[in-house]
Amino acid sequence: MLREWFNPSQTGTTPDYRFSLANERTFLAWIRTGLALIAGGLACAQFLPPLPVRHLREIIAILLLVLGALVALRAVDHWVRTERAMRLGTDLPRSRFPAVLAVAVAAGAVVIIAAVLVQVF
Amino acid sequence: MSEPCGQHTRDPGACARVPRDPGASALRTRLAWRRTGLSASAVALLALRPAFAPGAGPAEWLVAAAAMTTWAAIVAIALHRGRDLRTRFPGPAPRPIRAYAFLIVALAVLGGWVVML
Repeated sequence: MLREWFNPSQTGTTPDYRFSLANERTFLAWIRTGLALIAGGLACAQFLPPLPVRHLREIIAILLLVLGALVALRAVDHWVRTERAMRLGTDLPRSRFPAVLAVAVAAGAVVIIAAVLVQVF
Repeated sequence: MSEPCGQHTRDPGACARVPRDPGASALRTRLAWRRTGLSASAVALLALRPAFAPGAGPAEWLVAAAAMTTWAAIVAIALHRGRDLRTRFPGPAPRPIRAYAFLIVALAVLGGWVVML
């Protein structure tokens, strides 16, 4: 798949450029999602008070940064695969990634809520 | 590359050969690149913050400089792609897209450095 990134196949026919641009905007929306996760990680590390569990603040921050980087890489992958599907006229790629990301973010939120509650009581 | 087709088109005949609405989706895409650059600015500022905190040392300055360099590259790519979308017939652009993703990963790595400081 990495080879596809650097050598996008020119098979099939060129799709309507509006679809290509829509694909590009979807990619950029995912990039913004990744940037938001990275910003969240940095904000966690800089603005959260020390949490009851040792290094929990740093662990959450690093996890958010890793998630942000992962989202960015997945965004290119999805862009390439969508572009290829449009050229070949096949079904657009389906993905579980948005659901997995949502569950991961929700789980992280639950961890932070628990940490805050432990600190309050 | 085909003749540019939009409000600056010199050859109106070229427009008849392409689908309608050549401007709006290019414009929307251009604005999406801008918006993404803006999001990157927020990340760069957060990475810059420790350099201005009391007791900042060379490590903080270095990571801030690296973050600003990455940010400059991100904005430059967005501006370049925006210009392409305005002046040329829009087509898929694997290179800026690939570069963007790797620059975002670089920002994440720099963020990890900031967290570890």
